[in-house]
Amino acid sequence: MIRYILTRFLRAFITIVLVVTFAFVVLRLSGDPATIILGPEAPPEAIAAFRKSWGLDQPVLVQYIQYFAAIFQGDLGMSMRDGRPALELVMERIPATLALTLPALMLKLAMGVPAGVYAALHQGTAFDRAVMVAAVMGFAVPSFVLALGLVLVFAVNLGWLPSGGRDTIWHAILPIVTLGLGGAAALARFTRSAMLEVLGQHYIRTASSKGLAWAVVVRSHALPNAAIPTVTLIGFLVGSLIAGAIVVESVFSWPGVGRLMVVAVANRDLAVVQCILLLVATTMVTSNLIVDFLYGALDPRLRHGARANA
Amino acid sequence: MSATATLPPARRLPQIPWYVTLGMGWIVLVLAVALLADLITPFVYTAMDLQYRLVPPFQTWAHPLGTDELGRDVLSRLIVSIRVSLLIAFGATLISAILGTTLGFLAAHFRGIVEQAVLMLADFQAALPFLILALSVLAFFGNSLPLLIGLMGLYGWERYARIARGLAISASAQGYATAITQLGATPQRVYLRHILPNIASTLIVSMTLIFPEVILLESGLSFLGLGVQPPMTSLGNMVGYGREYITRAAWIMLCPATVIVLTTLAVSLVGDWLRDRLDPTLG
Repeated sequence: MIRYILTRFLRAFITIVLVVTFAFVVLRLSGDPATIILGPEAPPEAIAAFRKSWGLDQPVLVQYIQYFAAIFQGDLGMSMRDGRPALELVMERIPATLALTLPALMLKLAMGVPAGVYAALHQGTAFDRAVMVAAVMGFAVPSFVLALGLVLVFAVNLGWLPSGGRDTIWHAILPIVTLGLGGAAALARFTRSAMLEVLGQHYIRTASSKGLAWAVVVRSHALPNAAIPTVTLIGFLVGSLIAGAIVVESVFSWPGVGRLMVVAVANRDLAVVQCILLLVATTMVTSNLIVDFLYGALDPRLRHGARANA
Repeated sequence: MSATATLPPARRLPQIPWYVTLGMGWIVLVLAVALLADLITPFVYTAMDLQYRLVPPFQTWAHPLGTDELGRDVLSRLIVSIRVSLLIAFGATLISAILGTTLGFLAAHFRGIVEQAVLMLADFQAALPFLILALSVLAFFGNSLPLLIGLMGLYGWERYARIARGLAISASAQGYATAITQLGATPQRVYLRHILPNIASTLIVSMTLIFPEVILLESGLSFLGLGVQPPMTSLGNMVGYGREYITRAAWIMLCPATVIVLTTLAVSLVGDWLRDRLDPTLG
């Protein structure tokens, strides 16, 4: 078990190192960071000072190490637009993003998992087919089309809800529904197939034929086993909360991290972009780590190291 | 004795579900539109006609799908957008499939540290939402069409690499690969002429499953104004600009949005069906 935990931590750490390396390499490849960050019209003294403060006059390896040191100390550079620390800018947007994505996550779980389980238990019924159609549609309709469709119906035609901004709680409804519906469809489809796979196993037939009530078989044999792959997807959904909000926040002019990212990319505000990149990677890696530990709890085989490398 | 009794039972054509037929029909239509774009656009897609701004669809024969805020013909823009979006999606899917398969083969051939490196990169790619990665690269390098296609060409490579590696490892353990290796064939020949044709169907199925995701990604980026740049147009780009007129002229946005949804729907329905027929093992 200790080996299992250590391997997972090592992997998580390597992924973070790779992301930081990626940011470093891309920053160096994209030209002289001084002129990119300060702009081509910056005075030569400013560029020289910048090069010195970022250690750009040092050999690449030294720069690489210094880059790591700075990032692990929380120094992610200044936003070139308003001169404030990038980390601060990103942090103050996080509550707005969570205000959308956490309720959306609840919506996904509350709709997706029960729908998937019910569809699997009633395979071939009208409900099952409806879930499958919804899942296929949920994949094919991109979030910006769904968002604009909802705006067209509920804001433009019916006039029930506002189409953008963040003044009242009503402003949050359309973005939350947009985020929730797409994810719920994917989750339902995934839960359904995980559940169907488990229901086809021999141990389900055995449990059922030794006289257990079907409800008991489902509750104590099928659900825990189907939960294992489903937890992976939920972990992925948690990890991609910020990334998933990029498009939806943009459509609804919601002042969260996602919208900040789009604005920062359009303005080539590299410090902010880099900060969000690292934030997203860290959330993703952390949630993957939690999923790995949950696996250990859900699947005793993993705890005993039988599949430590799986 | 009748002659038919000795004949083997006629092989029945596979039953194609109606929605797959519809999907294939739509794909053929869209491909034809993309290929013939130059011939069938009624107007030049950038041509403005300020007298006829925001004409609704089905009002005049000249502009069947109406015009936009600058009096440009929506149908013509839609046709050109279909061409651009499909071109990017095809280019990106090909690049990603070639890159992923090559890396998968390298991992299978050299094993050891090469394999570990490829698998580590694949883990890294899978661990990070691609949209974030793509946006970061666009922020660092600025925007251009070749960069956009190349960037999208990184989408999904890790899935081809995993599949190609796994299949190549099991294929090289089989008799035919050993036999030609012993006959003196070079590794390139073994992998490209013998193993690749044997695993091609699985790779093609993966391509049809990844292709719609690429279309969605490109349209998402273009919608945000960070993909295809004006005066060029793409489906996502049209939706993005059309959204400002959602209250007065929703058709500017609805036409390309419908094409995006129908195309991804069609390709993924056909892809799912192909997977079930050719290779049920793929997730």
